[in-house]
Amino acid sequence: MSASNLDRTLAALADPYRRRVIDLLRERPHRAGELGQAIRLSFPAMSRHLRTLRTSGLVEEDRDEFDSRVRIYRLRPEPITALKSWLAETDALWARQLAALKAHLQKTRR
Amino acid sequence: MTSKVFIALRVPADPTRAFEAFTREISSWWRPDDLFQITPQGDGELAFEPGAGGRLVTHLNNGETFEIGRVSVWEPGKRLVFGWRQASFSPEHSTEVEVRFEPVGNGTRVSIEHRGWDAIPERHVARHGFPEHVTLQRVADWWRSSLSALRFDMKHRESL
Repeated sequence: MSASNLDRTLAALADPYRRRVIDLLRERPHRAGELGQAIRLSFPAMSRHLRTLRTSGLVEEDRDEFDSRVRIYRLRPEPITALKSWLAETDALWARQLAALKAHLQKTRR
Repeated sequence: MTSKVFIALRVPADPTRAFEAFTREISSWWRPDDLFQITPQGDGELAFEPGAGGRLVTHLNNGETFEIGRVSVWEPGKRLVFGWRQASFSPEHSTEVEVRFEPVGNGTRVSIEHRGWDAIPERHVARHGFPEHVTLQRVADWWRSSLSALRFDMKHRESL
């Protein structure tokens, strides 16, 4: 994964309100208004957070199929998958390096 | 479930020797890997500058030196903490690695914790306009409680 995307994902998740949004969206897609009510945030503040979440790719926006003025937000799995693969790579890296350290210590045993 | 990568392995040496090997002899045991390269020129030859404030650098084949991170904790035989930045990371972004050395029988349990998002630097946070009261610890807590629900299934290796 590109590191700048990882960076953006981490940055987007560094805010408690945005994490709360993610928590809510994990249950089901929500309207912007519902999110604002649930989290008790003003409309402009919520819009700002939703914009950040959209930019990071964690969340996507749709129009309501019955009322095009209403926006629906839902989670996108890609950034989480990317984060997961970064974790897996890092995990594999240190497992390999620790095994190498162990081999080195066996070789140089005093 | 945790927000970090955690790996532990038992090695046949006392903690002092294991710490010495990990730091002073890193160029002898570090294994470069095609999939996970520190820089596009490869991993190079890694070296720790001893002591807190010292750097972990790698000397590349083209003669350049790349700084992977700075040592923040240097406790021989016990604990080592250093920054970890690959060349592909943005300048503000760094992760942190903590290595612990604990005596077990006549060997040492070496454990590595690589903290990714729990170590977002203040500067970085400021740049993105986060409220000041948001502490990094809260970010970490959220990850801990939340990632399991996302079925974020990280395998943890324990050899002990």
